[in-house]
Amino acid sequence: MAALCSEFGDLVQIKKQLISVILLCKERGLVHSVKWASELAFALDPLPKDELPPSHLVSEEDVQDLDAFALAKSYFDLKEYDRAAYFLRGCHSKKAYFLYMYSRYLSGEKKKDDETVDSLGPLEKGQVRNEALRELRVELSKKHRAGELDGFTLYLYGVVLRKLDLLKEAVEVFVEATHTLPLHWGAWLELCNLVTNIEMLKSLSLPSCWIKDFFMAHIYTELQMIPGALQKYQSLIEAGFSKSTYIISQIAVAYHNIRDIDQALALFNELREQDPYRIENMDTFSNLLYVKSMKPELSYLAHNLVEIDKYRVETCCVIGNYYSLRSQHEKAALYFQRALKLNPRCLGAWTLMGHEYMEMKNTSAAIQAYRHAIEVNKRDYRAWYGLGQTYEILKMPFYCLYYYRKAHQLRPNDSRMLVALGECYEKLSQQVEAKKCYWRAFSVGDVEKMALLKLAKLQEQLTETDEAAQSYIIYIQEIFSCGEQLEHVEVSTALRYLGQYYFKNKLYDEASLCAQRCCDYNDAREEGKALLRQISQVRDQTETPSGELFVSLSDNNTPIKRVSPLNLSSFTP
Amino acid sequence: MASVHESLYFNPMMTNGVVHANVFGIKDWVTPYKISVLALLYEMTTSKIALQEKRRLNKLILPLQQGPDLTLGQFLKTVEDCCPQTAFAVKIRLNEMADGELKDMEFFFTTLPNPTFDSEAYKTSVVGLFIRHMLLAYNKLSFSQVYKLYKSLQHYCHVYDTKPGDGQMEVPTFVGDESDMDLTSTEVTIGDKMERELDSPLLVSELRNEDPVSRGPLSQKQAEYFLAKQAYLLKNDDNKALRPAALQEELNNMLKFNPDFAEAHYLNYLNSMRVQDIYISTHSLLHYFDRLILSGSEGKSNGDEGYGRSLRYAALNLASLHCRFGHYQLADLALQEAIRIAQESNDHVCLQHCLSWLYTLEQMKGSDSSVLTEDSVKMAAHFCLPYLASLGIQSLVQQGAVQGKSAHELMDALKDTDILHWKHSLSELIEISLAQTISIWRMYGKSTMAQQQAQLLLNMSSLEPVNFGVTQNNTEAFAVALCHLAELHAEQGLYGGTTEIFKHLKEQFPPHTQHAKLWMLCDLKIQFEKHMNDGKYHLAQPLVPAIRAQNKTEGLYRKAQVLKSLSRTTEAYRILQKLQVHCEKTRCTETIIRVLLSTAELHWESSDFSTGLPLLLQALTLSRKHHLQALASRTLLHLAFTQLMLGVPEQALSVLHEALEPILAHGGIMDKGRALMLAARCQMALVATRPNGREQAAVAIHTLDEAASYFSTLNCKERLRDVRYLQARLHGSLGQTAQRNRCAMLFHLLDRELQTPRAPTDMRL
Repeated sequence: MAALCSEFGDLVQIKKQLISVILLCKERGLVHSVKWASELAFALDPLPKDELPPSHLVSEEDVQDLDAFALAKSYFDLKEYDRAAYFLRGCHSKKAYFLYMYSRYLSGEKKKDDETVDSLGPLEKGQVRNEALRELRVELSKKHRAGELDGFTLYLYGVVLRKLDLLKEAVEVFVEATHTLPLHWGAWLELCNLVTNIEMLKSLSLPSCWIKDFFMAHIYTELQMIPGALQKYQSLIEAGFSKSTYIISQIAVAYHNIRDIDQALALFNELREQDPYRIENMDTFSNLLYVKSMKPELSYLAHNLVEIDKYRVETCCVIGNYYSLRSQHEKAALYFQRALKLNPRCLGAWTLMGHEYMEMKNTSAAIQAYRHAIEVNKRDYRAWYGLGQTYEILKMPFYCLYYYRKAHQLRPNDSRMLVALGECYEKLSQQVEAKKCYWRAFSVGDVEKMALLKLAKLQEQLTETDEAAQSYIIYIQEIFSCGEQLEHVEVSTALRYLGQYYFKNKLYDEASLCAQRCCDYNDAREEGKALLRQISQVRDQTETPSGELFVSLSDNNTPIKRVSPLNLSSFTP
Repeated sequence: MASVHESLYFNPMMTNGVVHANVFGIKDWVTPYKISVLALLYEMTTSKIALQEKRRLNKLILPLQQGPDLTLGQFLKTVEDCCPQTAFAVKIRLNEMADGELKDMEFFFTTLPNPTFDSEAYKTSVVGLFIRHMLLAYNKLSFSQVYKLYKSLQHYCHVYDTKPGDGQMEVPTFVGDESDMDLTSTEVTIGDKMERELDSPLLVSELRNEDPVSRGPLSQKQAEYFLAKQAYLLKNDDNKALRPAALQEELNNMLKFNPDFAEAHYLNYLNSMRVQDIYISTHSLLHYFDRLILSGSEGKSNGDEGYGRSLRYAALNLASLHCRFGHYQLADLALQEAIRIAQESNDHVCLQHCLSWLYTLEQMKGSDSSVLTEDSVKMAAHFCLPYLASLGIQSLVQQGAVQGKSAHELMDALKDTDILHWKHSLSELIEISLAQTISIWRMYGKSTMAQQQAQLLLNMSSLEPVNFGVTQNNTEAFAVALCHLAELHAEQGLYGGTTEIFKHLKEQFPPHTQHAKLWMLCDLKIQFEKHMNDGKYHLAQPLVPAIRAQNKTEGLYRKAQVLKSLSRTTEAYRILQKLQVHCEKTRCTETIIRVLLSTAELHWESSDFSTGLPLLLQALTLSRKHHLQALASRTLLHLAFTQLMLGVPEQALSVLHEALEPILAHGGIMDKGRALMLAARCQMALVATRPNGREQAAVAIHTLDEAASYFSTLNCKERLRDVRYLQARLHGSLGQTAQRNRCAMLFHLLDRELQTPRAPTDMRL
């Protein structure tokens, strides 16, 4: 932490660096990196006039290519890539060379996208590729070997390698690019997409620069290591980036990933205040609103976004969520489809569309949608989970085991998959496995607080009375400790069972306590009273031995004690 | 992964969440290869060709039309083989187009033969349909697509021009090998070539995979044809199908181009079953059914029924998958699920399938399932499912045979099913039925009948149509028949024949395939027997663990035998006891009898002949009850020997006479020798008591001669030595010194060769 603070000590220096890198990227048409750096720079205090870095560092070569570069850049900005490349072909400066190569790359990409629309047959559609890539690779690798590439061209080389699926080489080149030009966020971002696990991350040797902390935080989020990510972002905020919308949005997404809904909502609201016309990440926001069933807020968000730009993937997803919440599932599905037309790689939309079809009871279409999601990204646990649910609805518990297992594999610490697995096992009367699943679900932190209850019921069925009682006790503790009393029915079930259990074991004090608590709930009131009567009958018969117990009993009956039944466990046999 | 995303750009036609594979409903697309086929057709219809060449070309048309895209070199080579003149004309025509301008190609399409004017290119003929399809597809192309097509045609021709030797050198295979071509073309300099060579092989192969030219793009129809062919080959003779790895690569490729092609997933499932990869096979199976559920619901008017059906069969298939991998509990669960859904939707046919799987599963788990099977047969007959019905009957027959049902009942049942099979031409079941008959005859010890049935099966020509030049001969039935045949040969000492059969088996059923275990065990057993007969116990011993790995019971039995021969009596006895208990539990009668015999032999070792008697009698009862003639005769041999040792040679001889006939008729050569030797020894024992002693002795000598001939075919020197010894003594008692000396010399030679001290003759059979 200390090291971090010292690195961030000189915010002015960082701001200067950012401003210079913004210029560099802008000249080269790297718009996304410009955006990121500008957002960050905006969050820092403005510099006095005399501290501003010189806007141009012009070399001899740059001067030579100045006119050609200006012309090409204008063509480039107008998306006439071939034309830009043509005018840059004779240039020698590094800047011009990058733009030259980058234009060729983009031209290839653009053509590829156009080609896909009129390819020669459905089976050829997978074959359409950027033809420029191979040539670019050959040229760049020659220069790379000669050590003539600067940070930007290295980045481009990495992108070309990645597009050719030469991932190992791509990672090496991106690492080199970050060393040469640490401030270029694009290279870090590409690296982030290529790192698949923490071991791989640890094996990389990255430059120690303040930007590395942003990278680490980002990649922790990607790798679902949320606590680490949150800590990183927190320290970044403390270091002086508190105004950055980028960091706020990232933290919000991180909270969303660990399903800390309230925190995430608060952050998103803050974000919208600061940046009301922002569209990025708003689909995540709408997911949160959906989960919380906040109809008016979601409706407001949807209308707002439509006013800003209705042909954005995020907008479509938000509208889809909006319709889904209003139970207009056909329309919701329509909007998700629209989102997919805008960007078929949009993973979330496929899964959400699957959910909509599930709601419409169109299982086959749902399966199709989920399968598509899996094809886009095999690691999408929600799609696997959705497939499992679909088959569960079709009453095929054994069949869906496979899908739930897949989902569980991807999210080993998510209780929902475990509970789903447990339910399937229970349906297949594999009680031992089911019990294991429920217990594990509880151990990893149960979101819906249902695992223990299910476990207890299962144990009750198997006449494992002691274990069942134990589970019920922990269940009640859990429910009361989290403060909200969500499932009154289930708490009463637990209390009812515990009352009977203690009664059978002749622990009358505990039994009567439970019976009294039962009376708080409508559905268990009669039984509670009946149990109390039984207890008093038995007590009358067997003459309560000492007055000491009475004291403790009356203690227990005080309203203060009744609020928290936590001490029940201390009485357990 | 990337390619998958890109393919999704392409679905403006998505309705109801379902992406249609064929956007315009056209299955054929114009490719440069198709153009060359069109050019060929054009040449054939317009120019005069000699009748014979024309006939050869005609035969070529269908494979060319349906097969995958070939490179120009391969295409021209194929045509040249039939008619060089036409090939030249086609080449000229294509080059004209490629070297000319776009209008040349357009002109070509306008001049295509009008489908009505010629008889060959008649509207509805194969050729006519093809031409019309192509014209239709061509006319639908947009401007840029036409240009692209022309470009690819040019590329297609130029690749051939730059490397014309290509076509001559390589055999037309499915995978064209032009991969390096456009990498090394014009703009890549020599330096880059070196760089490519320096790169890791992984890199090069990766580039190769990516190369669009390396595999001709398959059109829908070509892909279907490819899948059908491979699936057929997998079913019938998977040696002729692509290697598992190659097939997998091909399928991955196909799925990359068209992720919606569900059948490829199924083939992937079959392919990974070949290599026993449960992970991929489960994955592919489920993926296939996920896809199938869609197509099922799409086409039918009663959509719900459509995919409900595939759901049921999905569960059933999953059950069979787990069953194959021996996960019986999982299979059971999956099966129950299938049954439940089938019951809910009143699908009796599916239920019937489930039932037959259920009894199979029960059988595999080793419990008695005859009641289930009977039910299944009845139900199958009721729902007119002859396949399942006779499968059930066959399974019943198998259980009946093991439980000792009377032979004529079994044979009758088999005969009845055979009638059913021939009526419905269920060739697969006919084979199984024959194989079952072989096994039953073998079990009863009728080697001649078994041999005859085996020959019948092997020489039978299949009823199934012969596709792709492959007849079905990789079924379990064939493996079983061949194994029996090998064992029969080995029994008669024809080891040369046995080796031949195993060579064939190894080719037909390579070790990784499903039925390979059959011949592996069989091979081991034969080797073991051979070594035991030769008295090379140290060679037999290492085979025991191998046998045990294949079959635990058999392994234990063999282990006991080796231990017995090595005189480690106590251990052998313990194992035999264990084995007997185990077999009584699993009701494996044959092994019980063999164990009883071995135990009796163990008692002999300690000269305790009378203790063995009850065991032998028990064995005799069992074998008679189950009609196991071979084992019964062997038991009689043992009995006779015991009696001889107990000093009642007359009784022994009469018992022996009962067994001698079946042994000489059906038994193995070893049994024959042993029986004859025993007979001779009985006769010898009687020589002293009988009045016509000399004659008796002469008869005994003759019997021994016969026994000696059997032993010498087996090259069983130990026993041969015994025979010579007995002969020498007989000759001695008859005063025939010359013969005695000859036999004694033979004995001496053998004795020197063997170097092991001779076991007391009296102590063994």
